Amino acid sequence: MRSSFLSVENLGIEFGPRDNPVKAVDGVTFEMAAGETLAVVGESGSGKSVTALALTRLVAEPPGRYMSGEIFFQGQDVLKMPPSKLRALRGKQIAYIFQEPSSSLNPVFTIDYQIREAIELHRPDVRDVRGEIVRALETVGIRDAATRLGDYPHQLSGGMQQRVMIAMALACQPQLLVADEPTTALDVTIQKQIMDLLKDLKRTSNMAILLITHNFGLVSDFADRVVVMFRGKIVEQGPTAEVLRNPQHPYTRALIECVPKLGQKQHRLRTIDYAEID
Amino acid sequence: MKSVIPMDETYAQRIWRLFKRDRFAFIGFCIVIVFFIVAALAPFLANDHAIVRVADGSVSFPVFRSLEPIEWRFLLYVPLAGLVYGFRGPLFLRVGRGLWIVAGVVLLIEFALFFHHSFNDVTNDRTLPAAFKLMPPIVYSPIETSPDQLVPPSWKHPCGTDSTGRDVAARLLHGARTSLAIGFISQSIALLVGVSVGGMAGYYRRWVDIVTCRFIEVMECFPTLLLILVVVSLCDAANNMIIIMVVIGLTGWTGVARLVRGEFLRLVGQPFPQAAQALGAGDLRIIVRHLLPNSLGPILVTATFGVASAILIESSLSFLGFGMQAPTPSWGDLLSEARKYIDFAWWLAFFPGAAILITIMSYNFVGEGLRDAVDPRLRVK
Repeated sequence: MRSSFLSVENLGIEFGPRDNPVKAVDGVTFEMAAGETLAVVGESGSGKSVTALALTRLVAEPPGRYMSGEIFFQGQDVLKMPPSKLRALRGKQIAYIFQEPSSSLNPVFTIDYQIREAIELHRPDVRDVRGEIVRALETVGIRDAATRLGDYPHQLSGGMQQRVMIAMALACQPQLLVADEPTTALDVTIQKQIMDLLKDLKRTSNMAILLITHNFGLVSDFADRVVVMFRGKIVEQGPTAEVLRNPQHPYTRALIECVPKLGQKQHRLRTIDYAEID
Repeated sequence: MKSVIPMDETYAQRIWRLFKRDRFAFIGFCIVIVFFIVAALAPFLANDHAIVRVADGSVSFPVFRSLEPIEWRFLLYVPLAGLVYGFRGPLFLRVGRGLWIVAGVVLLIEFALFFHHSFNDVTNDRTLPAAFKLMPPIVYSPIETSPDQLVPPSWKHPCGTDSTGRDVAARLLHGARTSLAIGFISQSIALLVGVSVGGMAGYYRRWVDIVTCRFIEVMECFPTLLLILVVVSLCDAANNMIIIMVVIGLTGWTGVARLVRGEFLRLVGQPFPQAAQALGAGDLRIIVRHLLPNSLGPILVTATFGVASAILIESSLSFLGFGMQAPTPSWGDLLSEARKYIDFAWWLAFFPGAAILITIMSYNFVGEGLRDAVDPRLRVK
């Protein structure tokens, strides 16, 4: 039995034909402590989202295949769980926020109905469901929450939609919140608001947060530790400040240099030269 | 510029707004509603029993004595459905909470109907003396024969009489019930089967999808009418109506299944079903509560066209003599009778034919209007 909060060991996930598979995740190993904020950074296709989805076995089989590895969440082997236990784990203990809030919300239901569903699924003993919904919406900074309950997703702005998604995720008081590029579809000012909200949540609750992003800029003042992924493998991990100050792997260095800096005149941002890394 | 489109309208409201702009669809919708009302109130519109009768100082409502148990059920269940609908909250919760009440009331009604005897007495309020009586607009019952055979339309018989002296108008009004019942119940069966099968194929894909699609193709190879004729002729004629409903339903689901499969394939690719899964929702919950409500518009459109085609199939069957059994009035049956006297008794063919034509056309207009209203490509305004 593992004692740690979350530990992923030698995780391998493949897609495509068996004789010529695409190894989306290839021997990934990392750990998370309770209440910790961990950022997984990497470019598109580096396997960070697949890793995040695999935490509750959300990668669909087929087309995906879990080839190797173990995922222990609070001592339980997630990949060996029966479907009913998996459903109890999803949302209740590990909740997700996705990249595109506009299409992650069901377009034909009110936000009240959708948050209600989350509570119905995992907290059937709650009496004052409406009060709970309003509280969840207020936690994520939606003012006059009671008057917005009847709104449909298309009536909200992108930032508001993402707040609703976060409220849904928080409604069941999960121990781990997986934020899969939560700000990618939003513009920069809203991005800041959402990150500030996540920071607040991190401070006020002892919920662990796994932040998936391709943007080192978001990581620096948010995550306790960083995992850098490249082509399905972890190339570097460590405390955020250390990794940022003294990146070991050439890919990490390249990735950090990709972030434009204010006050510096640069005509062309650096692109990653794969030959140099391999 | 001032926007005239309210921002906070729901999906149903916007469909209704777009639907209303199509004049033909709206007229068709009104006609369908009128047919509904006529069908529901047929015993009160054409009956030889008075609605209210005052005689010897006592008030009676003889029309209720003429009702069959199935008509009682109808009269009692419609307000019940309204009551259930009146519960607050989303539909699924309403049904959940109302279920016990509904079950109780249904049991009560069924218990009462168990002891109910349809009188079907020959007493005829037209000739019975009374201090006051309120007769239905058409004072003949659909099964009542008379010596006035093959009478052309007149004030007494607005649509004439047939070869056994039955009033054609009364038979038409009561035939509307048969047609609508067959149309709706057979389509409900088709929807139930089509949505489940198509939903499974679209959601699970892979071999489920392959098997289902091949099965649908096999089903579609059979000529529907021929298949129905074979099944009907093999079955017991006593409960013909139920058999016809089931058979039309079980042969008509393929279109719905294909549509639902396509819709589900489209929706499963979007992030929200996965978001629901990440929230801990099971397959059934995702299918019923997330995917199905999102494909309701197109399903409704096919169902509307389906009702029209079911009515048409029933009429064809009755015309061929495989439909409703003798005393039950049905539009197709009326037409089939008209064939024998077509050279002089034009009213026997004209009125039922017109009724079928208008109904089918109305449903098709409604279907087309709905299709345009739910079509996302036409969402300019």
